[in-house]
Amino acid sequence: MFEIAYAESGEILCSGRLDAAQTAKAEAFLGRLDASQTLDFERLEYISSAGLAILLKTQKRLSGSGAAIRIINVNKHIYDIFRYSGFNAIFEIETL
Amino acid sequence: MAGQAFRRSIDSVGDIYRFSEDVMAAADISESVRFPVHLAIEELFVNLVSYNPGARQDIVIDVHIENGGVTVTITDHDAAEFDVTRERPVDTGASLRERKPGGLGLHLIQHMVDTLEYDYRDGRSKIRFSKEPETRDV
Repeated sequence: MFEIAYAESGEILCSGRLDAAQTAKAEAFLGRLDASQTLDFERLEYISSAGLAILLKTQKRLSGSGAAIRIINVNKHIYDIFRYSGFNAIFEIETL
Repeated sequence: MAGQAFRRSIDSVGDIYRFSEDVMAAADISESVRFPVHLAIEELFVNLVSYNPGARQDIVIDVHIENGGVTVTITDHDAAEFDVTRERPVDTGASLRERKPGGLGLHLIQHMVDTLEYDYRDGRSKIRFSKEPETRDV
């Protein structure tokens, strides 16, 4: 199961598993962003290439208006995915 | 060896995770092995489903545990030929403007598993991969 919601701090909390069966929920939420935002991955356990595609699509769209998403509290395994994908060069990322 | 057949639908991804997680958790497999195994199973299953939409038969996944490592065999009896071991270069150094969503699944697998084999004959594809524990996990 994957959940995405605003925290009281204004950051976006992601939790669970962002796999190929869960991308619609992520895409619907991130598709509404129109300004720079921070995604908190502390409770995100897993992401596959389907989830990466949603993040990339969002980053490309926001970059058109000079905005960007930043990702914090990324666990080691998800960071490995970002590194092998080259996403560590196109997202600002902070690891746990 | 534990095996199960799964309906060829993206919606099966959650059931596949629970099946493989149960097998690996019961054998106390480390997270550094479990994560790439889950990733590789999902990417390969989604590939089989997405690139052969007319197929009907279930896809069989077998998980074998040995000495802290995991070997997975994915058998599709209704498959189109698609060699998952072939190099599919991804320009991971491209700029944000140049990057296009998609195409990363097999690239990730080829980096994260230790062996990857593909066999295709008479409409049946068999993909086998393995992931061994890192030295510090043993």
